[in-house]
Amino acid sequence: MTNLSRKCVPFTPFEGELAKSNIAIVSAAGVHAKDQEAFNIADDLGDLSYRVIGPDVAGDDLMVTHHHYDHQDADQDINIVFPIDVLRELADEGFIGGLANKHIGYMGYTMRLKDMYSETAPAIAKEIDRGSRAQAVILTGG
Amino acid sequence: MLGTPTVLITVSPEVSAQMRPPRALYPNGFKIGNSLGKPGKRDLQKQVLKDALELLTQNTRPGSFETKDYPAYGDYFEAPSVGSK
Repeated sequence: MTNLSRKCVPFTPFEGELAKSNIAIVSAAGVHAKDQEAFNIADDLGDLSYRVIGPDVAGDDLMVTHHHYDHQDADQDINIVFPIDVLRELADEGFIGGLANKHIGYMGYTMRLKDMYSETAPAIAKEIDRGSRAQAVILTGG
Repeated sequence: MLGTPTVLITVSPEVSAQMRPPRALYPNGFKIGNSLGKPGKRDLQKQVLKDALELLTQNTRPGSFETKDYPAYGDYFEAPSVGSK
């Protein structure tokens, strides 16, 4: 972590228009579809895997598996950590162009930070880069 | 490769700052687990999301955090500090 924080800020300018852009959500809040495999909260070291969530999923089809924050509120309304329905409303209103083809949920708790940094994070970036058609990404945590 | 622009919504700005996100919005006083507000408060959630997305179009300094107040949230929680995490 300390090494990471000493590096410069990786900054990609946004050069499009929101109204023409597809937006993806990438969330560390432990969100996944109810029919996807849950994150492994039994492993004290955390779970380094992630789930790809499609653009047509409704918030009610999603759930949280995460044991390091209080997600009772998110259990009632997933949009407070993974704003998929809100994003859809913004698309309907024309504020954004649309939803990206892929959104990502992972459990932002791990004791294996090096693996998260060197393996999980690049794999997620590659998911977004290949086939999501996202022009920008909203990041959320728990 | 150019990469994809990102904007973070965080309720733990001090903790998040360690990761040096390129752009971030801190909804002032929101608690952990409430990144976009409270359940069912769709107008509030929408405003937070719009404000975060608009940071993409503003000429923000790389690594800067924008703190915004949202009275509709109706609560105030201290954000965790790095020392307490």
